[in-house]
Amino acid sequence: MSAASLALPPVGAPLLSLRRVCKSYGEKRAVHNVSLEIPRGAIYGFLGPNGAGKTTTIRSIMNIILPDSGEILLAGKPLDTALRDRIGYLPEERGLYRKMKCQDQLVYLARLKGVPRAVARTRAREWLARMGLTEYAERKVDALSKGMQQKIQFAATFICEPDLVILDEVFSGLDPLNIELLRGMIVEQRERGTTILFSTHMLAEAERICDAICLIEGGEVILDGPLPRIRAEFPLHSVRVAWEGELSPPDDLPGVLHRELNEGTWRLTLAEGVDPQSLLPRLLAVGKLTLFSANRPSLNEIFLTAVLRRRQGVAA
Amino acid sequence: MSKILTVVSREYLERVRSKSFLIGTILGPALMSMFIVIPLLTAGNGGKDQRTIAVIDQSGDVRGPLAAVLAEEGHKNLTLQPVEVGPGGLDAAVADVKREILAGNVHSGLVVPADFTRTGKVAFYNKSVSSLVVRDDMLRPALDRVMRERRFAGAAVPDSLFEYLSARTEWNSVAVTADGEAKQDDAVPFAMAFVLIMIIYMMVLMYGNHTLTAVIEEKSSRMVEILLSSVSPGNLMLGKVLGIGLAGLTQFAIWTLAFFLISQRGLTIGDTTLDVSFLTPTILVSFVMFFLLGFFLYATLYAGVGSMCNTIQDSQQFHLPLTMGLIIPMMMLTAVLRDPNSTMATVLSLVPLFSPVLMFMRVCVETPPLWQILLSWVLMALSIWVSARAAGKLFRIGILMYGQAPTWATLGRALRS
Repeated sequence: MSAASLALPPVGAPLLSLRRVCKSYGEKRAVHNVSLEIPRGAIYGFLGPNGAGKTTTIRSIMNIILPDSGEILLAGKPLDTALRDRIGYLPEERGLYRKMKCQDQLVYLARLKGVPRAVARTRAREWLARMGLTEYAERKVDALSKGMQQKIQFAATFICEPDLVILDEVFSGLDPLNIELLRGMIVEQRERGTTILFSTHMLAEAERICDAICLIEGGEVILDGPLPRIRAEFPLHSVRVAWEGELSPPDDLPGVLHRELNEGTWRLTLAEGVDPQSLLPRLLAVGKLTLFSANRPSLNEIFLTAVLRRRQGVAA
Repeated sequence: MSKILTVVSREYLERVRSKSFLIGTILGPALMSMFIVIPLLTAGNGGKDQRTIAVIDQSGDVRGPLAAVLAEEGHKNLTLQPVEVGPGGLDAAVADVKREILAGNVHSGLVVPADFTRTGKVAFYNKSVSSLVVRDDMLRPALDRVMRERRFAGAAVPDSLFEYLSARTEWNSVAVTADGEAKQDDAVPFAMAFVLIMIIYMMVLMYGNHTLTAVIEEKSSRMVEILLSSVSPGNLMLGKVLGIGLAGLTQFAIWTLAFFLISQRGLTIGDTTLDVSFLTPTILVSFVMFFLLGFFLYATLYAGVGSMCNTIQDSQQFHLPLTMGLIIPMMMLTAVLRDPNSTMATVLSLVPLFSPVLMFMRVCVETPPLWQILLSWVLMALSIWVSARAAGKLFRIGILMYGQAPTWATLGRALRS
């Protein structure tokens, strides 16, 4: 029954693969032909606006809903109940038994993932200590603040020491301090070799910790791969400049589509294919430069561009 | 398999450790015993309240013998208060009695005319229908006897002949069982059977409801997604139903043990001594079977309903039809009891939803053919299988139905899909 014998692929090779997964609710297509490969050892951002199909995809992986078609493989094997024990899942809809003691709760959820009782007890104590909740071990969940409950939930996801963890909107409703704490723990788990599927609609958050991403919109994947490669596909496209004495850039700069002043710094948006370096001589001629930086596009900008490109592509 | 056991042990411990389990275990027998103690205490004597009956005895020698007969029959709570006919005549005296009745000072009034022995006529004044028990079950038989005695005395019948003529039949009622025959106290088996049926009824209803609440709890606490990422819906359902059923069985085991311990010392209520010899192996085994099968049948039905609902309120509309499955046989109990082997009783007691009450009743009062008992078990087991599968199906569909209250139509659609 235990899936401890699961032969993991080498780091970087696909751990979880989705192949042409489809799911419709009545007439509505929630997920259409989603194919993904999540490399082992990565924090994989699963991104998209609300209603893009993220949660439906995740629920299909976790067998909570049955996809209409498509294949889901873990380490090359079709995902079944035993293999699913190697996956930790923190759903967007959080829940704990309110009348159950914190430690019992962790032990119970670990046991459901096939962890032996004694091991589950030890790990539950360790996780409570790590979360700073040792004194709450014998308290009922009801007695905890919302933030503490989220930490318990987080611990419950990792307590089975899974090979893959799916976190759905893990930071929603947390204060910045706790976000920082959990972010540290997620990175730490990656160091231990855990692969993490990080689903969120907050692109800035994903940008900070993800190694690879997938952008999904309208139930379809529109972009996926390692973050550096994706960035390379979306070349630098803006420049920030400032001069001593608050001077302005010349009006006739070639290749500049848009300019805006923000707190003494100018931001120039460039047309595709324009090299920021080519602007430098003209900018230097204006006066004494105090700032010149060529910016990488943010995930937000990449996402918007990708959506635009796709829509234009569909229209054409 | 080990996951089912994990779920079973959580559900079991969660219930057995709860305060409500402790309270229920203590209060249960108290409530249950009311069904047996109250009928036994009140049986036959129409209550023990002291009652005064104003008697205008114009014959002059009826009140004394009447009081003696009433005392002999055990109606010690009736006091006959003599009312003299004053100068105002009979009408004035009767008017006085009526006033006293209305004022509540006396319970009722009895006027015995001077020619009572010859005519047998008396007049009875009363306020409420409740005094009809006093009239028909106490005064009438006693007065009949007084009249008879006086008429025999008038006809110069010797005392010995009179006693011979007015003797009552003596009954020795014997229950025939496979083991031989045993002397029978009518009140006890019936009361015991009734108590056992009440236990089945209440336990099935109560623990069935527990299942409903437990399933809804998974959804309202939003645990269901986490659980289903580890356990299949069918196994989760099975684990919950088994765990809750075990908790119910534990409670019953505690009661049985306590009852046996108490009855070893002899348990006497009113004039009746409870006798555990009624609990034959046949009755005990079928009790456990009917409890378990009945519980699982209703639990799986409740679980199916629960998995379509997000709140207890949502489940209300489905509640009544399910509960009716238990209430209807309770209403039919008397009819079945009167003729336990009639075609109607046989057919009804084989209906799986009714079997836990009706077939068990038949087992208690007059053991039906073995094939009928076995058939009812097989039918119930089949129904459990069907209902469990349907519940598992509904559970998977119902999980993600947050935010919309289910209707009969969605329930039907879900089952057909």
